[in-house]
Amino acid sequence: MSHKIVTLIEEISKAQSPEAFFGLKAFLLNELKKVHSDYDKLAFKYERSTKEKNILNSLLTKTSVDLKKVSDNLKIRAEELSILLTTIPAFVYFKDTQLKYQIVNQQFAELAGIPSDQIAGKMIHEVFPGYENSDYLEKEYAVLKNGIALYDLEEELTFKDWKRWINSNIAPIRNLENQIVGLIGISWDITERKLHEEELQKSNELAVAGTLAKNEFIASVSHEFRTPMNGILGLSEILKNSPLAPDQVDLLNGIISSAENLLVLLNDVLDFSAIEAGKMEMDYQPFMLDRVMEDISLVMKMKAAEKSLLFDIVIEEMVPNLLIGDSQRFRQIMINLTNNAVKFTEHGKIAVHVSLVKLSGNSAHLRFEVSDTGIGIAPDALNSLFRVFSRIKPSKARQQSGTGLGLSICKKLTELMGGRIGVESSLGKGSLFWFTLPFTLSILHKNRSQEDQPAASSCFKQKLVLVAEDNAINQRIVSYHLQKMGFEVELAIDGQQALEKYHTRNFDLVVLDIQMPLMDGYQVAKAIRQEEQGSMRHLPIIALTANAMKGDRESYLEAGMDDYVSKPFTYATLEKVISKALCRAIN
Amino acid sequence: MVLKTFHADSVKGFRQAWADNTSDGFQPNAAVIFSSVDLELQELVSFLQTIKIQAFGCSSCGEFLYDTNNQVITEGGVVCLMMTLIPESFDIKQFNGLGRSSFELGNNIGKWAGERFEKPAILILGSGLETDGEQLVRGIQHVAGNDVSMFGGLAGDDTQFKETFVFSEEKLENNGAIAMALNTSQYIIQGLATSGWVSIGADKIITHAEGNIVYTIDGQPALDVYKDYLNVSDTDLPEIGVEYPLLIKKPGAQDVLRAVINVDREKKSLIFAGTVPNGAVVTFSSSPGFEIIESTRNKVNEFHNHNEEADLLILFSCMARHNALGPTISEEIDEAWHNWAKPLIGFFTYGEIGNNYNAACDFYNETFTMVSIKQKSDVA
Repeated sequence: MSHKIVTLIEEISKAQSPEAFFGLKAFLLNELKKVHSDYDKLAFKYERSTKEKNILNSLLTKTSVDLKKVSDNLKIRAEELSILLTTIPAFVYFKDTQLKYQIVNQQFAELAGIPSDQIAGKMIHEVFPGYENSDYLEKEYAVLKNGIALYDLEEELTFKDWKRWINSNIAPIRNLENQIVGLIGISWDITERKLHEEELQKSNELAVAGTLAKNEFIASVSHEFRTPMNGILGLSEILKNSPLAPDQVDLLNGIISSAENLLVLLNDVLDFSAIEAGKMEMDYQPFMLDRVMEDISLVMKMKAAEKSLLFDIVIEEMVPNLLIGDSQRFRQIMINLTNNAVKFTEHGKIAVHVSLVKLSGNSAHLRFEVSDTGIGIAPDALNSLFRVFSRIKPSKARQQSGTGLGLSICKKLTELMGGRIGVESSLGKGSLFWFTLPFTLSILHKNRSQEDQPAASSCFKQKLVLVAEDNAINQRIVSYHLQKMGFEVELAIDGQQALEKYHTRNFDLVVLDIQMPLMDGYQVAKAIRQEEQGSMRHLPIIALTANAMKGDRESYLEAGMDDYVSKPFTYATLEKVISKALCRAIN
Repeated sequence: MVLKTFHADSVKGFRQAWADNTSDGFQPNAAVIFSSVDLELQELVSFLQTIKIQAFGCSSCGEFLYDTNNQVITEGGVVCLMMTLIPESFDIKQFNGLGRSSFELGNNIGKWAGERFEKPAILILGSGLETDGEQLVRGIQHVAGNDVSMFGGLAGDDTQFKETFVFSEEKLENNGAIAMALNTSQYIIQGLATSGWVSIGADKIITHAEGNIVYTIDGQPALDVYKDYLNVSDTDLPEIGVEYPLLIKKPGAQDVLRAVINVDREKKSLIFAGTVPNGAVVTFSSSPGFEIIESTRNKVNEFHNHNEEADLLILFSCMARHNALGPTISEEIDEAWHNWAKPLIGFFTYGEIGNNYNAACDFYNETFTMVSIKQKSDVA
């Protein structure tokens, strides 16, 4: 540029004309302007560079301090990570995208039995010769491919002379560009846990077996109680029918009442163990609701009257009467709730109310309420009321007795039948227990004449009955009752003797105890029925049993028996069953 | 479209130049005016009122005008573009910002533009110290949609950072915005935005911020961090803060630059031209040097290849570029002028608004933002 200007100046000095001079001058001025502009820019750049240099120097100094801090922090983090790796009770490894080990911790190296620096760069089968779990490697590849961590991978690792259970978590490692560059695996030895789990499993099985055994024990003990109970109640009944002094009648009533309470208790325990063992099965049969309610009313009115309480049952008009359900279990719930109501009420009234909740198709949902004007239940006790062995505090219960199983049985029974149970109560004012049950509507009318067969003692006159019973007391009771009914009784002390005696005389009726030595009741009944085959003969056979479970009835009938009576039984029950069987035979 | 341009260094000079340019019977119906705060702006507005021209103007941080007759970059002067626009295809309206958030201000502008034209493009000038440019843009988009074309800048005051103005022929305001709506069925509007600023230094975290006010960075008062890192004195801010803006890292998106436009020395906080979110990861940033001119020239050439036809160009260039590039800034502007050889007017801003090609409009700092306007040929 300066060369151009010098040339221009030289040319101006040699200008031949004013035109040439002014032309060259304008050209020169323009060139000088450009130089000036370029100078300005250069000067700015210089000045700017100086100013910027200071700022950038400061920024760089500060940045290097920042970076030092960052690097120090990284060192600390690296140190922390290193401590973590060496102290963590786990096997930690880092792998690259080819699944070659990069870094492993000391624990991992010890597991493999190779120094950690010799593991780097190797594949798993080089570190653990014979390792063949391709599934695990596939999972590692999946982590690399999908970038999603996998947790709780369990495998049994067999290597050299040991075998261990390992639980692993695998997670992808990404770089700053978010690309997956490898993975980290953390594995735990869970062999001990596995062993514990196995032990736990075993002890769990034992516990279950123990519970089953306990339930069976309770069931069989309860059953064994029935025979002596039968003795006590039966003999008491006999005694009651003999001439006694008035104070002796009182004492005897005390014995009977205690024995009856004991029986209720036994039945509760038996029911409860059946429910617990899952053996409680419902027996759905057609029944008439009003009949069942009348029965309950008869029993409960008497009990209520003893305490000068009113007892009232109201069945709403809409409630269907012909139902299919387990009337025995329904009755049991009603009796339990009404009994409680009477038990905990000193003045006033017990009211039973039956209403229809819902009628749809051929099913009816009914609600039963038992309300009383008794002592009531404190709110804090309401929740636990239906739990097993729950009893309201003694101070509240006062002199009342019970197993504490009653309500929990009611709850289980309603639930088993598809219903619900609950209570509302106000302390000092009374309680209202309610339960709902679904029933199927029955179109079949139960044959009343059959069920309500009157005790036709006339059928018994001059009849010969064979009684097989091994228990001496029970022999006495059965004989006493049967003789009172007008039968001539032939006794056998076991099944075999019974069968022998059966051949010797022409009997009108056989009453068989089920559990007997040599031959049990089933075998005797089966033998008799077998001999009857081909003839028109059908000898009525009635079972006497301490087993009162559902399903038993079927097995008696299957063995060829006509009916059964549960121990302990009363005169009335025995008479009713026998008359039914005999009259059927005659008809 | 008939266009004339002039520049002056006083209101008196402006009046004279206006008279000279209309002596031939030229009757413009709109004017774009960028003026230094050195001029008596109220007097200028009064003059605009007497000549009844629809004006679209603001104060600046330096103005420039390129035309066949004039190629000037001035400081302390005024530049004017006189236009004959299709009367039913444009409108200009001033919006007061007092007691309104920038977002609400944007809402009002978007609503107005949408009422004027079915598909409007918006030119917008905002007062430079009160407006959160990002919120202004979001406010307009909230009403007019994300695809609306918008270009503009925040007014300057010759780097005094005291009071900036927007004005029409009706009034001069120090808090608000002025908008020009153009009917895109008759005007083709295209834009470019390029920065070139680069991240410098280690990552920092915004530990306390509210809107566009930053109180602490890495737990330290924001003012102290700036002074400490740039090794500058109290009085160097906010000006130096425009040149060394914060670069906000946005994972998975383009990083954005936010320049300091004001300082609260009592609270030791910095006010930025746009929102700086709490918890944001930021670094300082700087012009990498004079080579950014080359980068801008390339971008301008690319834009020209893509968009050769234009009747006029309006350019919003950040004042920080002027500070950083000094007289060499003319090389960027020259490139635009030479490519189209059509009237170009612009000013150095406190913040830029624009669409880079077809991307949604954004608010920027440190950019060279340009808009080309072309009247469609089928219209008279």
